[in-house]
Amino acid sequence: MAKLQTASELAKGHFAIDPSVRRVILLEPVKEDDPEVPIKLLEVVEGTIERGIEPVSFASDPANGVDYPVVIVEISPREFEEIAAESSQLREDLEKRGWWMGQELAV
Amino acid sequence: MVDGAGTSGVGVLWRMPLTDQDWIRAFARQALSDLRVRDLLQQANVEKCHRLHFLQMAAEKICKSHLIRENGRGNVQNVHTYTAKILPIIARQFYSRPGRKAAIPHWELSAIRHLAYEIEKLAPACDAGDLRPDNSEYPWEDSRGQVCVPCEYNFPSVDDGIGGKSAKAMVDLIRLMREAAEHYAK
Repeated sequence: MAKLQTASELAKGHFAIDPSVRRVILLEPVKEDDPEVPIKLLEVVEGTIERGIEPVSFASDPANGVDYPVVIVEISPREFEEIAAESSQLREDLEKRGWWMGQELAV
Repeated sequence: MVDGAGTSGVGVLWRMPLTDQDWIRAFARQALSDLRVRDLLQQANVEKCHRLHFLQMAAEKICKSHLIRENGRGNVQNVHTYTAKILPIIARQFYSRPGRKAAIPHWELSAIRHLAYEIEKLAPACDAGDLRPDNSEYPWEDSRGQVCVPCEYNFPSVDDGIGGKSAKAMVDLIRLMREAAEHYAK
């Protein structure tokens, strides 16, 4: 399964299991041709602890249909507003890692 | 000069007594390091036993930090059986801190409780009366008389993968553990 499709499936799963998930954004770069580069999901979750850009890493999980490593960055709706602003510390923190917001993954 | 140590006027070494706060911070700092290693092991896709081992060690130290804070070091036993009981308490506590809008969701507390129980059982000393010999460190004999090696075992009771049903709760548990450890490390 391609990275984008895998990312969409993961997002759907997280929406399904956690009613507090408001949005899931794919973080770029995806690098579809490089399986070593992790899928990075920015998840906006109501009520989550606010800790800024704090990735949680996962190895690939082929037994469950995930052939790539994955990084989840969970933020609150307030933090998302901050990232969406033109200049903010959180946005800088994201960019320092060489990441930027890509497409939003649908429910 | 070492922190907390010095010499008196007559050349006798004296030492500031260690406080509970010293130990709370020390356990928390080591827990944060364990969590960083857990993240690196996930990125390197090493065997599951090692990933779980660092998760278990981090959880144990955070719980110990919490218990020393609440009860004093002298009243905390040197055992591995803290995690199942204490992690859910820490979760509730951190989600109900001032300024937070939402309490911890019920599903998440249940998932964390389940993960905490399974994480506790990963310590070799917590074999639940030999009913659960599987652990993340040492080989054991299974019910069919076969030797099981941790690095070759899948640990089906602890789902630490991104594709499983526990993935979302695992993200939240790790974030919670970091939050608690950083708070106790201050």
